[in-house]
Amino acid sequence: MENLIEIKDLHASINGREILKGINLTVKPGEVHAIMGPNGSGKSTLSAVLAGKESYEVTQGSVTFLGKNLLEMSPEERSWAGLFLGFQYPIEIPGVTNVNFMKTAVNEHRKQNGLSPLTAAEYLKLMREKLAIVEMDPAFSSRGVNVGFSGGEKKRNEIFQMAMLNPRLAILDETDSGLDVDALRIVANGVNKLKTPENATIVITHYQRLLDYIVPDIIHVLYKGRIIKTAGKELALQVEERGYDWLINESK
Amino acid sequence: MTNYIYTPNRDNEFRCKVPLENTEQLFVVDGTLQSNGIDAISGRADGGYALKVPKRSALERMLQIISVRRGLGSASCTNTFELGESASAKLLLCSHTLNDQRLETQENYMIRLEENSNLDLVIMQNEHENSLHDSHFAIDLAANATLKLHVVTLHGGELSNRFDINLNGKGAECEVNGLYLASGKQRISNILNLSHRVPECNSRQLFKGILDGEAITRFSGTILVAKDAQKTEAYQANNNLIVSDYAKAYTQPHLEIYADDVKCSHGATVGSLNDDELFYMRSRGISMAEAKLLQQQAFAYAALEKISNVALLERLTNLVERRLRGEFASCSDCNRQSC
Repeated sequence: MENLIEIKDLHASINGREILKGINLTVKPGEVHAIMGPNGSGKSTLSAVLAGKESYEVTQGSVTFLGKNLLEMSPEERSWAGLFLGFQYPIEIPGVTNVNFMKTAVNEHRKQNGLSPLTAAEYLKLMREKLAIVEMDPAFSSRGVNVGFSGGEKKRNEIFQMAMLNPRLAILDETDSGLDVDALRIVANGVNKLKTPENATIVITHYQRLLDYIVPDIIHVLYKGRIIKTAGKELALQVEERGYDWLINESK
Repeated sequence: MTNYIYTPNRDNEFRCKVPLENTEQLFVVDGTLQSNGIDAISGRADGGYALKVPKRSALERMLQIISVRRGLGSASCTNTFELGESASAKLLLCSHTLNDQRLETQENYMIRLEENSNLDLVIMQNEHENSLHDSHFAIDLAANATLKLHVVTLHGGELSNRFDINLNGKGAECEVNGLYLASGKQRISNILNLSHRVPECNSRQLFKGILDGEAITRFSGTILVAKDAQKTEAYQANNNLIVSDYAKAYTQPHLEIYADDVKCSHGATVGSLNDDELFYMRSRGISMAEAKLLQQQAFAYAALEKISNVALLERLTNLVERRLRGEFASCSDCNRQSC
């Protein structure tokens, strides 16, 4: 089967400091990968680099997404190609309503695919359908993007946006941070409902907790900018019990 | 935001082609009021016009006064608005230029609001880039009178608006919101002097500007609170968004307070587009250009949202969007290309 994404020897730095020091990772359709690792290991940097954040500089390596060179694409082109990043800290945009924001995004995706923009009624129908996936009240749509949202609402909004854009590969950066148990369940259920044999998910997390709900096929442990261990889902439990030290020692 | 191409269409008699519903329209050409059937308003001998709303009466419909420049050279006029005790009126003043010659316009407005009267005034300026337009508004409010003023500058060569607002009677209230969009070599200035002369009056000012190209804008706002004007509440804010490397925004907030029991604040900012917001939008597939536009619209909307006439608010919001897109900011369905 064709690889969705193929990351080879990826090195990236910010302000001259190297954070990623040779990442190799391949994800195929239908797979769920988890990336775990202690604070500062480079997890969020990896997701930001893949989404195209310009403050990071890729110094070495390649990323192929659906056969194309991802690193040459702008953030919006990556989105159109089917990449989605769920932000650890979703950005608040005062004055831009959720409905205006998502409608613009959905219609730009449609334009790229040669489709006409959705009518107001069509958009509303789609929006209600996708809001139900994350149990969100339609009343939220007239509010500013993430403005005044609780931590849980922001994360649900990320999954709602993912549902609207229907990506081939979703990278969820610490989607579990700041969530209580109920919100965690709703968010995880949302992600599970969106799973198909054609798409894939990379879940980035600190804790094993989220992986009880979103069960990964493969777990990677990232440490100091490198993947030091790749194994099946049982690895999460070992990390939960023993922490990361034994893995770090093992890799030395 | 880019400059539009100015292609006026010339017709013998100017008429707005897309009037708002429930609105009475009047035309002023080169400072002279055109004939009309409205009792409340009449031409003045020395140019300009006078609007009188007698006490305890109200203008039934919004009055839109469309002032166009089409002749060459300069024009000056004085216009007066008088609202009697407990009178109320809703006014929309539009100013346009119908040719692209250098047109100089000087306008003085004398506005008197008697006790308990209520004026809702929206000013919309959309002129070509050779226009030079000075407007001076002297506004006096008696006790418990209220003024709601919006000044929206979509386009113009060198526009200067000066507002001297005096709160002369207890309980007078005024709210002034301004939006100015400047690109190319445009110069837009707003000068506002707000005098709290007596106790227990409120005022709020919010001016927002979006600057592109080599535009220069100036905001100078003064709140003066007289010695005995206790229990005054007065707030002022001026926020500027600069989207090019060469535009300049000057902002001068002043507070001059001689009373000791007051709530006053002022704030001024000059900033650029927010990179985190842009990245977030782009990561959802919104192109850079659209993301910038959304951010500018959101910025601008705060200065418009209190316009109480919903149809007018919608129209101005659309005009702002078209202007920010670099299209000619005319009303939809209008083919005039000069408003």
